[in-house]
Amino acid sequence: MSNVTYSGVRESVPGRLNDLGSTGKKVSEDYKKGCLKRADRSFAQGLQCQQINSMAALMSLEDSVFISHSPQGCVGCAIMAVDMYRVGQIHRGVKHVKNPRLIVTNLDQKNVVFGGEKKLREAVQKAVERYSPKLAFVFASCASGIIGDDIDAICGDLQREYPDTLIIPIHCEGFKSKICASGFDAAFISINKYILKNNKVPKQKGLINLFAPTTVSYADQKEMERMLRLLGAEVNYIPFYSSLEKIRKIPAAEASTSICKVFADEFMKTLWEDYEIPYSHTVMPIGIRNTDKWYRGIAKVIGKENEVEEIISREHERIEPLVKKIRDRLQGKRVFICGGTGRSFAAAALIDDFGMELVGLETPTYDDDAQTDIEYLNGIHKDFVVDIANMQPFEQVNLVKKLKPDAFIGVPEWAAKLGIPTTHVLDGKRPTMGYDGLLFLGNKIADQLENPGFNKKLAQHAKLPYKESWYQESAFKYITEGGN
Amino acid sequence: MSQIMENPKGGCVLAGINSVLGAIDRVCPVYHSGPGCCMQTTASDQGQSGHKHACFVSGVSLPSSNMLEKEVVFGGTDKLRTTIQGSIDIIDADAYFVLTGCTAGIIGDDVASVTEEFLEKGYPVYPIEAPGFIGDSNLGYETVWNTFLDKIIEPDLPKDDKLVNIFGIIPYHDPFWSGTLEEIDRILSRLGLKVNTFFTKGQGIDTIRKCSSAALNIIINPWLFKGPASKFESKFGVPSLRIPGLFVGATDTTRFVRKVAEALDLDKDLVEKVIRDEEEYVYKYLSQSIGVLSWKRFAVVSDANNAVGFTRYLANDYSFTPVLVIVSEPVIRPDDKERIIREIEDLEYARPPKVLFLTEQYEINQAIRDEEEEITLLVGSSNDREIALEKDIQFILGSFPMSERLIFNRTYAGYRGSLTFTEDIYDNN
Repeated sequence: MSNVTYSGVRESVPGRLNDLGSTGKKVSEDYKKGCLKRADRSFAQGLQCQQINSMAALMSLEDSVFISHSPQGCVGCAIMAVDMYRVGQIHRGVKHVKNPRLIVTNLDQKNVVFGGEKKLREAVQKAVERYSPKLAFVFASCASGIIGDDIDAICGDLQREYPDTLIIPIHCEGFKSKICASGFDAAFISINKYILKNNKVPKQKGLINLFAPTTVSYADQKEMERMLRLLGAEVNYIPFYSSLEKIRKIPAAEASTSICKVFADEFMKTLWEDYEIPYSHTVMPIGIRNTDKWYRGIAKVIGKENEVEEIISREHERIEPLVKKIRDRLQGKRVFICGGTGRSFAAAALIDDFGMELVGLETPTYDDDAQTDIEYLNGIHKDFVVDIANMQPFEQVNLVKKLKPDAFIGVPEWAAKLGIPTTHVLDGKRPTMGYDGLLFLGNKIADQLENPGFNKKLAQHAKLPYKESWYQESAFKYITEGGN
Repeated sequence: MSQIMENPKGGCVLAGINSVLGAIDRVCPVYHSGPGCCMQTTASDQGQSGHKHACFVSGVSLPSSNMLEKEVVFGGTDKLRTTIQGSIDIIDADAYFVLTGCTAGIIGDDVASVTEEFLEKGYPVYPIEAPGFIGDSNLGYETVWNTFLDKIIEPDLPKDDKLVNIFGIIPYHDPFWSGTLEEIDRILSRLGLKVNTFFTKGQGIDTIRKCSSAALNIIINPWLFKGPASKFESKFGVPSLRIPGLFVGATDTTRFVRKVAEALDLDKDLVEKVIRDEEEYVYKYLSQSIGVLSWKRFAVVSDANNAVGFTRYLANDYSFTPVLVIVSEPVIRPDDKERIIREIEDLEYARPPKVLFLTEQYEINQAIRDEEEEITLLVGSSNDREIALEKDIQFILGSFPMSERLIFNRTYAGYRGSLTFTEDIYDNN
């Protein structure tokens, strides 16, 4: 075990910040000089809390019950993971599609005053009686955290009562972090603490841990597995659509990698420290450059550098004529990108494959990893606007309206109402990754640029909720120094 | 007191409030809450209601104080103040409602004092202090109307004897709410009435301010709105007529029309003409597809309003056989339960079905699994599909929560909606 235990709060990493308005060139220089200060927004729109991510990361696990120790509202976003789980089953050919077993303790006024321990015990009891699960996850909430319910102690006690179910508390209280990806870390910290427990297992030759969040489509899973198998690896695809057995196999692996930059990145470090499993942490495999980089990263770790070059050149040969066709349609088009940490930078690299020009980038956090990406982007693009924001649509529409890009990549809802052609790179139901995903995405962007009628007509009828005066202001007006 | 819930249908009271406000044009909720509440409360109701989102702001577009550890420890009223000011500065709304999340509720931030400061300066900013832990999203509808009754609706307006207010159809908690309100509006307009649906036709806060001039409140719901209705009567002198369940099909819609006509003493010839026209419209179609739908023995899992409507249409108008009806929203008061049971059991010819009140998915699944009588059609929510697949029952996604279909203005209610309902039940397999 390492000496300093990572808390799971992503802000705790030095130099990482969430609120900033800048440009590619300026932010990279400021970061180098150490001039970036932690900030806040005096006005902001809603964020995604880390509990959403903790739940989403695990909700497709087999033989599991997911218990939210919270009021009923805190499982609202679980519907997204529920939907992905149902659709994922359909894509995997399951006929009798199941619901995930989600139980909410439904903390109420009385519990807020007197504590919710009794309800949590009852919820676990129900989970065991109904489903005899192998795993029962207990997710904390703002409410359970503030009233001070000791879920670790309660779970420990229940564990003795129900020895056949692993009862795992997860500390994903929403108020602890502004960065929702912290919730992924909270889930992995608990997996390590309550399932792996530093038990050494025999190594399995050729086994690679491939960490994947719930937003990865089955098509993407197959593509990633295909690529790793070409290197002679056997893939332990976790935790999406996996099981306790597969989680227990994690320490047996020879190497680890992840599909998303902020998914299991800290956990892979822990696996290195605890089990000496080397890992590759590079980029999200979207676009040629990033897919190459991702592929080379893991190949290097397992000593398949030569093999991977052969495969990459074969793939390039196959893919490049097709990419060229897309590039002919997209060359020189100006793009604004908004996305999560992994996807925003991946999309920024992707547009380079198509010869497009980056004019604005919105991404949730700035840190060492972001600096690497920004330096790369500065090398190929003119100066572009950087908004370090988790969504904040009011800033986005302000920037998009001023920058007037030819295309917008990200959540389409707001840019569409400004009449800009939109494409989303987060599509958990269809391909976006690897070499084949690139073609799907490229054609999607090109087709939408070519035929933008819907958004253009929509813009004539739909109004965004902002005052006209807002578009005259600086998009970064509400960013203030000295945040928490 | 709230119960432990498996796969709950909908979110907390905050989600319910957000859904109602989100359906009113140019009204902006402002969250004084933890960082995820905007998304959670939007996803739980609007996000599971046929993929139609609020007309103005929802989800991550909602202004929020995003309370973190600092606010939990030191209080969040400063953050709230700048959040409200920013909302006023940039969002072009006619009214702002400050909603309280669990965090603000537990630490006890004085939200009302902060909103009062803005109100004094002439900004339409109002508090709705109902933190998420006080209940589920069903409560949201009444909570919002109670706030409107206390703070928004104007007294002493001249009465308009042709104006009616419609209550009981909850936006997003009923995925068909838009289409249903449009169908109700269409029918009542034919009777010469002016209709406040509040959530369609671009009606906004002004319509709400002036709704005390209505001649009648029509509550289309077997149990909701008891409290607000009596406040309407005592404070503004607007009486209420309760229609104890949504009407689907000619029989019940005509029953509805007659009740409204009687309450408002409408012109009898006109009313009978409208009824004749509408019924003929429905039967003209029904008569062109005789024997196309096979005989069904059906079960319904739904909120009380739709459970009444679906059951009565399928049994009374379409001669299907009702087997089991599960009311899947929490109904607490015994007299409300009795009213719902009466509506479902009091059928014209059909044998009454078994009626259960179950909110928990596990118990719902068990009840359907253990039902000894054969069921060949289940009308339910996305959560209920699993048991239908398990038992190989034809499944119609007709109630909340609803993830696998897109709903704009579709409805199963009224005269015309019953045709749509029948179309959807058709199965060529």
